Amino acid sequence: MDDPRATRLVERALRCYPRRWRRRHGDEAAELAALLIRDGASAGSIALSYLAGAAREWLTPRPGQRLSAAACALLIAVCSLSVSAVLLASPAPARAALTPTQAKGTSTSQARGRARCRPGSPQPVPGLIRAMGQPPAMIWEAGRDRSC
Amino acid sequence: MRMSGRDGRTEQDVLRRVGEASVLILISLADGPKHGYALIQDIKELAEVELGPGTLYGALDRLERLELIESLPADDRRHPYRITAPGAAALRAHLDSLERVSAAARLRLRLGGV
Repeated sequence: MDDPRATRLVERALRCYPRRWRRRHGDEAAELAALLIRDGASAGSIALSYLAGAAREWLTPRPGQRLSAAACALLIAVCSLSVSAVLLASPAPARAALTPTQAKGTSTSQARGRARCRPGSPQPVPGLIRAMGQPPAMIWEAGRDRSC
Repeated sequence: MRMSGRDGRTEQDVLRRVGEASVLILISLADGPKHGYALIQDIKELAEVELGPGTLYGALDRLERLELIESLPADDRRHPYRITAPGAAALRAHLDSLERVSAAARLRLRLGGV
């Protein structure tokens, strides 16, 4: 490849392949790219083809990659569980405010709407607030700040 | 995929799932060993299909893992590839299967009057 930019582009694309592949085909692939560019192919399309090939190479499961795939799956599962746990733990005051209304037979969405839009004085929920260890004003503030 | 031939023989068409590029590479190697650049040129002439270099090496790797082709000692920086005996058998089985399907398709077109 005479053009240094084309050389760099193809070399960068080839660097995306796994090391095993580069050891096996790296030199040959670089020479093939040089020959194709000499014939008039664009360096960009060759680099793109190598990039797609590299993506396929990484995504194709191999016998030696089973363990790492299992480790990745386990890591993803642990992360998902952690995120779910954090999301469940965070909106505790809002969930606490809804519970007595639901007990009177109102649907969840209606109860949520009232809790958010109530303009008058606050109606603290004694049992649950105490259980959460927070003062009643906290609930009222949360309801007023939201838009209706 | 196992297929029954007309003579009752059961053959395995392993090429049914490897993709068009792999089949074209095997066809190109059927008349002798070639390296990557020669394969791309030959396939372009033979089938008017321009294989990208990434596609070529992906297919070569797959065929090598299936032991349908083998790499010969490097000539300078180029590795020539050669079709193996199982590769030739797989290609024959695949071409037989294509011929059967093609014959059936032509017959149906005639019967349908299209």
